[in-house]
Amino acid sequence: MSTLAMILRRSPYGDINAAEAVRHAMGGAADELKIDLILVDSGVLLAKKGQDDAGTGFTNLGSVLQDCIDMGVNVYADKLSIRTQHIDSEDILEGVKVAGSSEIAEIVKEAKTTMIF
Amino acid sequence: MTKTLTLFLSTSPYSYENTSTAVRIAESALGKGHTVNLIASGDGIYCFLKGQKAKGITNAEEKFSELIGKGLRVYL
Amino acid sequence: MLVIVKSAPDTAEGERGVKFARDMAADLILLQNGVYFAQKERLGGYCGTAYVLDEDKRLRGLKDTELEDDIRAIDYEKLTELMAESDKVVGMF
Repeated sequence: MSTLAMILRRSPYGDINAAEAVRHAMGGAADELKIDLILVDSGVLLAKKGQDDAGTGFTNLGSVLQDCIDMGVNVYADKLSIRTQHIDSEDILEGVKVAGSSEIAEIVKEAKTTMIF
Repeated sequence: MTKTLTLFLSTSPYSYENTSTAVRIAESALGKGHTVNLIASGDGIYCFLKGQKAKGITNAEEKFSELIGKGLRVYL
Repeated sequence: MLVIVKSAPDTAEGERGVKFARDMAADLILLQNGVYFAQKERLGGYCGTAYVLDEDKRLRGLKDTELEDDIRAIDYEKLTELMAESDKVVGMF
């Protein structure tokens, strides 16, 4: 089965990229594709615990990311980006794998197709 | 004392968070009795198209229609 | 004077907005991705009053313990009050 890698470089809510990344990841998983969703730069903020959408009118993207994980999407968060975004690894959703640059490079190299958000 | 707030919206309705921010600022300011102008420029004009079906995010057509009913002045 | 910053700390726009606020000794309002400037040690050298929009901070899962102690959380009601009271509002960056 070929793998589709999706790289998210942008933080959630400020623009549509994070919402689009999880939407396409869910679509791919529903079609039984193997999906690797890789969070880099401020994209790692998508995996932050405790997102509270009450009264905002937004969809809780942390919950959607959790749904992706439950559907079998492999989610990776870049270790260096977590540090530069001033968050702790403990604040990352369970099920998200913290990965170094070389591991991420290997995943992208192995994937048949890459989408960048 | 009432004031006039003028908001400038130049981004499309669902690609950025600006629609929601503009709606919430306008809603709050109108509630306080201020005059609120909204100038839509560039892709901002798409916020005022009819027939939008957005879910899970602020529906620009619905919210701006509601605010126009409360006195929001929109200029395209 | 008020400067409103909606862009994240890792963007040129966000940095520019905060620099303007610092140089003009203006108060600073952080909303949308600008709320990440409220994290500890992000606003080095800024001496004015900084406000963060509580709703945008909650949406992103930012906890009060992660933020600088002297940044004030506000709602939209307080935001529009500050905007109406201010002689000038610059932004949003």
